[in-house]
Amino acid sequence: MAESYSEGRTGDGEYQEQFLNDTTLRRLGAAVAGLFTLGVGGFIAAIIFTQVDFELLVEIIHPQFVNAFLRVLGIVLVGSLLSVTAGVFVGLGRVSNTKFTNTVATAYVEFFRGTPLLFQLLVIYVGIPAFWPPGQFPISNWAIPTAIIGLTLNHAAYVGEAVRGGIDAVPEGQMEAARSLGMSYVQGMREVVLPQAWRNALAAIGNDQVILVKDTSLLTVIAIPELISAFRNVNSTTFDPWTPIILVAIAYLMITIPLGKIVNHLEARADWGGDRR
Amino acid sequence: MSLLEFDEVDKYFGETHVLKDVDLDVEEGEVCVIIGPSGSGKSTLLRCANRLEEIQDGEIRLEGQSISAADADINRLRQRIGMVFQSFNLFPHKTARENVTLAPTKVKGLKKGDAERRADELLDRVGLGAQSNSYPNQLSGGQQQRVAIARALAMDPHVMLFDEVTSALDPELVGEVLDVMHDLAEEGMTMLVVTHEMGFAREVGDRIVLMADGKVVEDSPPEVFFENPKTDRGKQFLSKLL
Ligand SMILES: Nc1ncnc2c1ncn2[C@@H]1O[C@H](COP(=O)(O)OP(=O)(O)OP(=O)(O)O)[C@@H](O)[C@H]1O
Ligand SMILES: [Mg+2]
Repeated sequence: MAESYSEGRTGDGEYQEQFLNDTTLRRLGAAVAGLFTLGVGGFIAAIIFTQVDFELLVEIIHPQFVNAFLRVLGIVLVGSLLSVTAGVFVGLGRVSNTKFTNTVATAYVEFFRGTPLLFQLLVIYVGIPAFWPPGQFPISNWAIPTAIIGLTLNHAAYVGEAVRGGIDAVPEGQMEAARSLGMSYVQGMREVVLPQAWRNALAAIGNDQVILVKDTSLLTVIAIPELISAFRNVNSTTFDPWTPIILVAIAYLMITIPLGKIVNHLEARADWGGDRR
Repeated sequence: MSLLEFDEVDKYFGETHVLKDVDLDVEEGEVCVIIGPSGSGKSTLLRCANRLEEIQDGEIRLEGQSISAADADINRLRQRIGMVFQSFNLFPHKTARENVTLAPTKVKGLKKGDAERRADELLDRVGLGAQSNSYPNQLSGGQQQRVAIARALAMDPHVMLFDEVTSALDPELVGEVLDVMHDLAEEGMTMLVVTHEMGFAREVGDRIVLMADGKVVEDSPPEVFFENPKTDRGKQFLSKLL
């Protein structure tokens, strides 16, 4: 079969695509990747050997950058946990057959996806205390709660959409099979639909959580000493850009790369007999 | 009182009148085979019987209790109605055994160990004792459908609904599923079976119900239906089979 097929297509078998055949494409790809590695590697080497001040580096790592890193990490952990949890409920609201619930969930997503996170942070940071007479707002360090509330509300909208997509991708027959066995809607959702929706949504949720990590850079505007403000501190006093830049890059990657690994691990675990689809 | 009663049932999808005044009584232990052209409402009738679809008029009763009433305890009633689907609808994230134990543990509150013992028994009975730890995508279509039957049986239903359960299977896998259904019928299970397998209908069915245009147009024992149908619609349907 296969033979006669290729014979039929290529006649005497002499026809070859002249320029971009499989081999040239493979070599071209390797060449581009090689050049890229050389360029970037050279650039980084140049920075390290000509720009980075190692004495300064040691001086600013501790406590300034370590503290900023731990603060960001803490906010990310809490924000991730809360936004993913809340996002599941937003997603359930989005697939609800109850018109009211559905409308509220949709409006929620429209608002939090439709306005900038920076704006939302400011609303919480300066808007909420305005309900109290000046100086009477009871929470002294309002910036950290603002960060967690803002990141959670914002990313719950994105996670919610990922979860909705994940639920929509589960065939309707799954819920029908669960219901026909006497399970309630809640049991069907929890035992049958959500585990599959979760797997479908994992990549999208993982993407969003990486963005959440990077969104902590916005917290510099509400005066949280995070990584960007640590950079600005150092830079404005020493006029050295590259030493703190390197630290900022390392710090973010120390969170985002393991996060990606966790998502991969969760995806591999939800393989259920291999050969996904 | 029959085990399952359809009493002047009307079903609409929007404007489309899909079930028209359907009357049908299924007796305990009976195998009632429903046949009819595509779009005649066979699947809809079955889906109404466990309220996957709502009816607009009439009543459906299981052992005298209304399934269609607004206040029916549907989750409880469905435990007595097993359903097997054309597309299996196994839970892909659960092994064969877990597919079978899920509802008994979650709905009936069976202990895990008891549920597993029972699941292994049922999987054995459908010839899949060795596959209990396999995931659905590691099983053939015929094996998956047999797991689906075991899953439905695990709730100890009083009636089983089968909707074209062999239609999605490769021809060589049809037999193993029909064999399981045959055994089930012989053990006295009450069954409502939508199928295109006329050999099965003839051999296993106690009654052949022919549907057309949302109506029951003939209801005869198989020897009558296949030899000498009572109605013109019956004759017409048979002539198309040959
Ligand atoms: N969810 C739905 N929404 C609208 N119309 C529907 C829906 N399901 C079925 N119908 C319509 O109802 C009628 C009966 O459909 P049903 O699936 O019950 O037929 P069937 O006898 O099972 O056919 P088949 O042999 O093809 O499975 C058809 O006209 C179909 O188009
Ligand atoms: Mg059908």
